[in-house]
Formats: sequence, C-alpha cells, structure tokens
Amino acid sequence: MENILLKDNVADLESYFASGGYKPLKKALALNPARIVEEVKKSNLRGRGGAGFPTGLKWSFIPQHAGCLRYVVCNADEGEPGTFKDREIIRKNPHALIEGMAIAGFAIGANHGYIYIRGEFSAEAVLLETAIAAARAKGFIGKNILGSGFNFELFVHRGAGAYICGEETALLESLEGFKGQPRLKPPFPAVKGLFASPTVINNVETLAAVPAIVEKGGDWYASIGRGKSAGTKLFCVSGPVKKPGVYELPLGTALGDLLEKSCGGMKEGRRLKAVIPGGSSTPVLTAEEARDVKLDYESLAAAGSMLGSGAVIVIDESQCMVDLLRVLARFYHHESCGQCTPCREGCGWIEKILNRLEEGKGSPGDIDTLYSVAEGMISRTICPLADAMAMPVMSFVKKFRGEFEAHAAGKTCALRTALAGKSEAEPGSAI
Amino acid sequence: MPTIKIDGRTIEVTKGTTLLEAAQKLGIYIPRYCYHPKLSISGNCRMCLVEIENAPKLATACSTEAAEGMSVFTGTDKVKTARRDMLEFLLINHPLDCPICDQAGECGLQDYYMKYSLQKSRFRQEEKVRRQKRRAVGPHLVLDNERCILCTRCVRFCAEVTKTSELEVMQRSDHSYIDLKEGKALDNNYSLNIADICPVGAFTSRDFRFKQRVWFLKKTSTVCLGCATGCRMTAHHNENTIYRLVPLPNSQTNTWLCDHGRMTYKAVQAGDRLSKGVIKNGLIDLEPALREAATRIDEAKSEAAVLGSPWLSVEDNAALARLAISALKTVNFCFEFSSGQGIKDGILVNEDPAPNTAGAGLLKAAHGGVSLEELSGRIASGRIKVLVTEARAAGLVKTALKTSGCRLIVFAQNRSEIPAGAYATLPYASYFETPGTFINYQGLRRRTNPAVRPADGVKPLWNVVNKLAAYSGTSLGLDSAENALKDIKL
Amino acid sequence: MESTLTEEFKAKAAHICARYPRRDAALIPLLAEIQKEHGFIAEEAMDALARLLEIPYSRVKAVTTFYTMFKRAPAGRYHLQVCRNISCHMAGAPGLLESLRAKLGIKEGETTRDGLFTLSAVECLGACGSAPVMMVNEIYFENLTAGKLDAVLEDLRHNRLKDLGL
Repeated sequence: MENILLKDNVADLESYFASGGYKPLKKALALNPARIVEEVKKSNLRGRGGAGFPTGLKWSFIPQHAGCLRYVVCNADEGEPGTFKDREIIRKNPHALIEGMAIAGFAIGANHGYIYIRGEFSAEAVLLETAIAAARAKGFIGKNILGSGFNFELFVHRGAGAYICGEETALLESLEGFKGQPRLKPPFPAVKGLFASPTVINNVETLAAVPAIVEKGGDWYASIGRGKSAGTKLFCVSGPVKKPGVYELPLGTALGDLLEKSCGGMKEGRRLKAVIPGGSSTPVLTAEEARDVKLDYESLAAAGSMLGSGAVIVIDESQCMVDLLRVLARFYHHESCGQCTPCREGCGWIEKILNRLEEGKGSPGDIDTLYSVAEGMISRTICPLADAMAMPVMSFVKKFRGEFEAHAAGKTCALRTALAGKSEAEPGSAI
Repeated sequence: MPTIKIDGRTIEVTKGTTLLEAAQKLGIYIPRYCYHPKLSISGNCRMCLVEIENAPKLATACSTEAAEGMSVFTGTDKVKTARRDMLEFLLINHPLDCPICDQAGECGLQDYYMKYSLQKSRFRQEEKVRRQKRRAVGPHLVLDNERCILCTRCVRFCAEVTKTSELEVMQRSDHSYIDLKEGKALDNNYSLNIADICPVGAFTSRDFRFKQRVWFLKKTSTVCLGCATGCRMTAHHNENTIYRLVPLPNSQTNTWLCDHGRMTYKAVQAGDRLSKGVIKNGLIDLEPALREAATRIDEAKSEAAVLGSPWLSVEDNAALARLAISALKTVNFCFEFSSGQGIKDGILVNEDPAPNTAGAGLLKAAHGGVSLEELSGRIASGRIKVLVTEARAAGLVKTALKTSGCRLIVFAQNRSEIPAGAYATLPYASYFETPGTFINYQGLRRRTNPAVRPADGVKPLWNVVNKLAAYSGTSLGLDSAENALKDIKL
Repeated sequence: MESTLTEEFKAKAAHICARYPRRDAALIPLLAEIQKEHGFIAEEAMDALARLLEIPYSRVKAVTTFYTMFKRAPAGRYHLQVCRNISCHMAGAPGLLESLRAKLGIKEGETTRDGLFTLSAVECLGACGSAPVMMVNEIYFENLTAGKLDAVLEDLRHNRLKDLGL
C-alpha cells in the first residue's frame, strides 16, 4: 500500500502542495470543528508516541466554553532509545506535521501551537522553522488562514537534553521554562495544560496522520491496519539487520515480515536472540516469542509487551543480556528527573547491581534483589519512567535468567569469554 | 459533598478534600514526607500511597481528591509493602549517621522505619551516593545534603511562604541536591521553620544542634512576645534551661514562627541576666536596692510618675497602676501607647514591636491617666522628679528624660536593657518564668506559661512592685498576679 | 553584572519572549542563546538572565543543571558526543569511545590540552537506525566506522568541516 507519512519529494512546500498538500486544511476550515474531532475519532488513530491513547477522544476532552485559550503542542522530543521516526517525518514530510497541527488547532479552537523538539535535533529544528516560514508566507499558518478567519501561530521550541520531557506534562513544564518534571494528574493537560490552559499534546507521527484522515475520511483510515489498531505505523528498526531504518507499514504487520521482508533479515552470520518491540522501555521478547507476533497494540499486549513508539530493537546471539540491561539502566538512571522516591533511588540501585554483575562482583542474591527493586518501582510514581526502567529489568531477568545467573555464579560473562579472540569483542575494533 | 469510605468507615467531606485530609478527620494517620498542610501538594515522596477499590494502581492520598463512593484502604498488604519499599528506597543513599545526627528522636526516617519497615537494607553501604555534608547556610541553619530525602518542603516554603525562592533542587536523578546561590545566605527571618518542616536531619538549627537530645526536652506551650502578633509557640526545655522555641500552629495567628521570635528565649538565660538590683551602675542586693528606690520615690511623692509598658503583662501593668494610684497617689501615670498595628511583612511580623499595647490600654480604660505625649511634656519640663517604668518603655520618653533631671527607676531583666542614666534598676521575672496575660493586635487574649524557674530572689514584677510600695510605706496587698487584676475587665 | 547581557542579546531575547504568553517561558531558549554566544553558561549570566526575566536565580540554576546540553564551563572547540545507548552500544559505541580516548588522550568529560576536543558519552541521540552515532557540536555523524571516525578527526583538526558549521 501507499505510504501516508513517509513520502518522497514532499519535503518542500511547493512539492507538498503539488501532491495535494494543504487541501485537507482547506477542507477542514470549511467544516464544523466538532466534525473534525468526530472524523479523527472514527479513524481510530491512536497516539504514536508510546501510550496509544485514542487521539479523537483526547481532542474531545478539550473544554469548548468561549473565551478560554487553548493550545496544540507537538511532542517531537524523540528520545526513547531505538526511536528515530519523528526525525524522519520532519526531514521528509514536515508540512504534513504543520498541516496536522493547524487542523488540530482549528478542531479544538486553539490559536497557538508549539513544536517541542529535542535540543539535539538542531538541523531538524531549522528544517521545521523554514517549513513554517514557507507555510506562513503562503497563508497556511498565521492570521486568517485561507480567508477562513481562523488564526494559528506556530512556534518551534527546542529542548535542552532531558529524556523525561517526552512525558507530556514534563514537556509542558519544560515549555514553560522549568525543569522537566512531570506534573501530578489530574488535572490532565486537556483541562489544565500549557500555561494552565486546555492543551492537546500529540506526537509528531500522530499529528502528521491527521491531514490524510481529513482528506480521505476516518473510515478509510480505520480500514487500514488490524482491528482497533488502525492505520499505518512507522517502525524504527535498529540492530544487526541488513537494512535498519524507518518503515511505514500497516499496524498488524508481522514482526517477522518487518525483519525479513523490509529489513532483509539478519546480517550475515548473526542469529536473532531477542527483540525489544516498542522502544527500550517495553518488555523484551525472545526470538521464539518474536517469531509470530504481530505489530499492533493488542497483539503485543497479548504477548506481554507493548507497541510503544514502534522502535524495534533487534538483538542477536552475540549480545550479552546483562550487558544490554546495564546499558539501559545507565540510561534510565541518568534520565530520572529525581522527583519520585522509587524512580530516583531505584534506577541508580538497579544500575549498580548490574554493574556489579557485569564486572563479575555480583552474588546470587543480586538477581532476586534486582527483580524486587524493579517491582518496588512499578506503578508507584507520578510518571511512567520508573515503569520504563522496571519493565525491561523484569522481562530481561524473567526471560534470560540463565545469563544473569551465569554472571552471578561465574563472576564473568560466559559470552564475552566465548567471543574473546573474535575481532568484534576487541575494544576499538567493533566500529 | 462526596461521601467516601476509608478502611470501612464512612465520612462525608467537602468537595476538594484529599484522601489524606479525610483520613485525618477519621483519626487515621497516613505517613507522609512531602505533604505539608500549609504548602502546595508535590506528591514526590510516595509515602502516602493508599489502595482505592477498583483502581489498578495505588494512589497518593495527599493528591487524590475524595470522589463520591470511593472506598479507600490504608492498611492492606499492598499498601504496607509500598511503604516498606519507599523506606528502603529513601534509606539506601542516606548516611544512617543517627548517632551523630541532631534530628535523632524526631526524625521522620527513624520514626517511620520503626513503624512501617524494620527491614534490613539490601543495599551495599559502599555504593551510596555521596553528597555534600554539613555546611552553614545563613545565620540559623546547617544543611547536610547527604541526609536529604528531597521532599522539597524547604523549596516550597521559600517559594510559597516567604516568597524569597532561595532554594531549589539542582541536577536530577539521585544526584539531585538542595542548594542556593553560592555566597548567598538563607536569611529571610523565617528560616528556622525550615529546620522544623524538614522531616529529616538535612536542615538543622545552628542554635539548637548538639545542645540537647530531643527526648530529654519538656514542652510548655506559651506565647511569643516578640511583637504584637502574639504567636502561639512551645518552649522546649530541660533542667531549667530553655533550648528552643517552636511554633504551635493555630488558625488564629500562626503556623510558623519568625527567626526573631525564636531567639527571644536567649535573654532569659543570658550572662547579663539581672538577679540583683543596680544603683548607678553598681550591683547591690535587691532589698537595699528597693529601699534606695523607695527613698527616692518618697522624696518625690506626687512629683513621681509611673509609665506602664506595652512589653509587660496586663498583671504587671496593673501592679504599676496600683503603685501610682495607691502608693504614690499621683496623677502622673500613663498606660496609653499607640503604635501602628498590623502584619507588616505579609507573614507574621507586626508593625508594633511590643506584645501588649492593647493590654496596657486596659489600665488606661480602668484608671485613666495622662497621654504619653502629656507625660513626656511633664518630664521634659522638669515637673517630674522620679519616673518608675520598665526599661524598654523608658525608651519611649528617652528624649524627654535627657535634660530633665528626672531620676529613672526601671524594671529590667538584663543589664543590656538598662537605659543610660538610670538611677535604680530592679530585676523581675521573665514571662518564660512567670505567667502573664497579653492581648495581641487582634484583641486575642493569651497567657504565657512558665517553662523555667527564675533565679533565686528574682520575682514577678507585680511582686517587686508590692515590695517597693511596702518600702515606701504603703501596702498594696498584692499577693498574686490575679489580685492585681481586681479592677480590670479582661 | 547586568553588563553580561549585551543590547544585542536583549533585543534577541525580546523577540524570543514574544513567542510565549509569559516571558519566563523563554528561559530555556535564552540559556541556549547564551551558550551559543559564550560557549557555556556562567553564574553571572544566570544571574543576569534571572533579572531580565524577573525570576529567581535558583530557578535558572536548577534549570541549567537539569538539562544535559547546558555547559557550566567552557568546552573544547569540538564537543565529541558519542551515543552509548543500546543500539549504538550493540553497533560498537564502546569501541568508538575507547578509540577516541586513546587517540585524544582524554577521558569522558575532559578536554584536550590544545582546547580542540572535549569528549562525552551521551544517551540516545535518536538516530539508532544509523548507529553508531556521534554528535560534534550540533552536527550528527552517523554509521561510523573506525575509518570514518579517523577521517572526521582529521578533518576537524584541519578545520575542513567549516561548511557543516564546524
């Protein structure tokens, strides 16, 4: 099927317009805003940032009483390890995002939008600013858009290095010029969001899908995919496959097909060991589990994991699971905002235990401690960062306990010993 | 008005009431660190997690509002496990230096550990995150970041109460720490409240630390006489020594206590505390001092004057009024003090630095007398030969006294209080040592309670007045403070 | 120390502040501007910015220390930031870092004596499909190999990447 989001030759305004771009905006501006929300609801579009919350429903929570300021915020703080799809959309199809935001603004009655982009994406921030300026020059953004009387101002706001700002309320704090520390909910952003006003926050991929839905209808979009998992999804494949990259496929595509057909299979001489299907926070699947699983919200939940951001991290037999989990723990430890007790203290504790196991200084009791520390963190914090640490820990330990036990007992990594002598394990030569 | 159940007990609460507050109303205590009734809700410590029927996750009682039909459980295994886990998390990077920590005995970590955990830590001591150890931050506080549990009460206090925003949590993750601008002092006249609200030994009082283990302290509730606000407070003392003053929160005047008020106990046990009389800078025993003072008064009689004091209790002012009317039989007395009143810093400090301007006014109402201006005039014109008053009140007529030739007989507690040129000084008991009635700027009547005993021979002011009158040949018949109040409508 | 903010900066600040209904929302972009101008964010600059935005200094300091991209000390001319997260790790990031340490004679967090290079290991840069990845100042170098890394270092040493803004 034809791609909805990842298209070639639509990066600049002229070609985007020539391919039918900004027609959906024109169409939307002639509709009743409530109709647009209905259409998005009908499409079954769900949040592509990781949580998968129904987008139309989210929009419908925005209070519609007169006189209140409302905001549309785009979450482009792409930071979930393994994820690099928003960057691709911004590079290849920035106007779909800009148009999607303008439509969202019209639908909920917001006259201001912000794209919060992670600080490291400076080239992409410039791309967006250029694209917005071009759209403004043509009257797609700004005052009285296309003569409709609707005003929509759009700004790019760059972050400054904090994974937590991908959490929507931390993002709002950051956008308001504070530390990115998640807020207590309720109130939810739809009621009290940016600058205490009702706010819709959607991921880049979610918003970029909106123009097509407006153009072709909710039913059309809902017919793509599988059941309640409607539409296409960008899958970011990293790891030792032949062709890593971003692939747009209907939800419900088999993971095996993604890896074999799209990515050309594993690299020469590599054997699949495990897959993290939805970004580093989601529970790992063994090769066995990964074989037949379908990539959609329900199937992955049934398999004990999550679709998350669609970041498929492929792990092969040459990798040590203890080592990889240590890398993830180091990350979450580094990124915990420090607000809630279990996350602030637990992430560091987990990293320390894993460092010990990895360095051959562990003891058998460490594995149970590791697991129970993760259990102690889960579902007990303001935001899901603690869960994002706990879920990989629990799934790695459950599914690859043997490797952890070997580390604890053998005081050294069997895999590393086995690989010693092979060039890849030599420091400096793996690149 | 939602009706909810907590641990099976039903309660109806007003909309917006949190589960923690509702539980409190039922007498059910939910442990907490970051929650403070007078600060915004932060929800970071996760100590107050409770179970709500049909909810998938535990919820923080401090931030969850009661909703109709909610059924809440505060003692299930799930809740108990969560509390134990939180304590383990909080303690892993804590230095566990209780033997040398001054918070011991009133430490949230110790108390909750005993009540909700009693579990051995599985954390390796050598892997603890090290943070900056003790350092003085401002005139009143010491900060030990290693003991901090990052509940942010201190941060919110400075942002929301004093609105000075000195403190913030710097960095993130388990490297977070509380800090303020380098080289800047945490000195906002309310800083010691931070030592109170800090649930652990991170912020301690420079004045109090290491003076006394808290379990030895006895507590006496009393009133702060630092200004006309008249905050309620508790004096902590042991073996006849006061160690600190802390606020006694109440809805009428104060949740907090200012740093100035907290230091008012210092004078009571200061080195220059008077237990003897002073005649022209020379210390002498009280009896000869009284005799000398009485002699000077007798010389002047109706040319003597009495000036009450807004720093003295109603009882002691009443005794002075009796002295003027019955012993001196003079019309030269004044109990009228005027001062701008009202909170001047938006928190507690009153424009009126004296605690009992209103109380002194009761004597004026009962006995009349002259205005302060009139009395000043009479002193300045030389018509007054002897003035009997309290040391700080003497300051109100300082200019008039200067060249008047009037002899000054003052009551003072400390040598440093004695006005220059005073002829005789008579000691009296502080209101930490003797009860007294004070009326604050709102008209609230409050009584001090003695926390410590005065030194031998130091008597309440009314008693000293009684003796002074006796030396001058009049019996005032003051055998108790109450007795002095006979004609006064309180 | 008001002088640390130039008139030019203040004009730019006014422009950035205008994007938000509350001026203080511009704190993070303005800190980034200061860093762009001076290479790092000094205490005096935080102080001056706090006054400009009429917010407490403590907030500026807290924000500056919270976000990893803000530097509080000068770094080398080229800030080599090697991603060490899972995809890059599997693709050889540890080796990449090891080789940079050896070639430059510095550890993570240090700067070469000639002031040319500062080395950092950073978390996911969001380019996992082209791992391993390194960011030099604000420019990404992807699909790195030993040979490519050497070439980048040489190019930087000889100032041959001016076109990339380096």
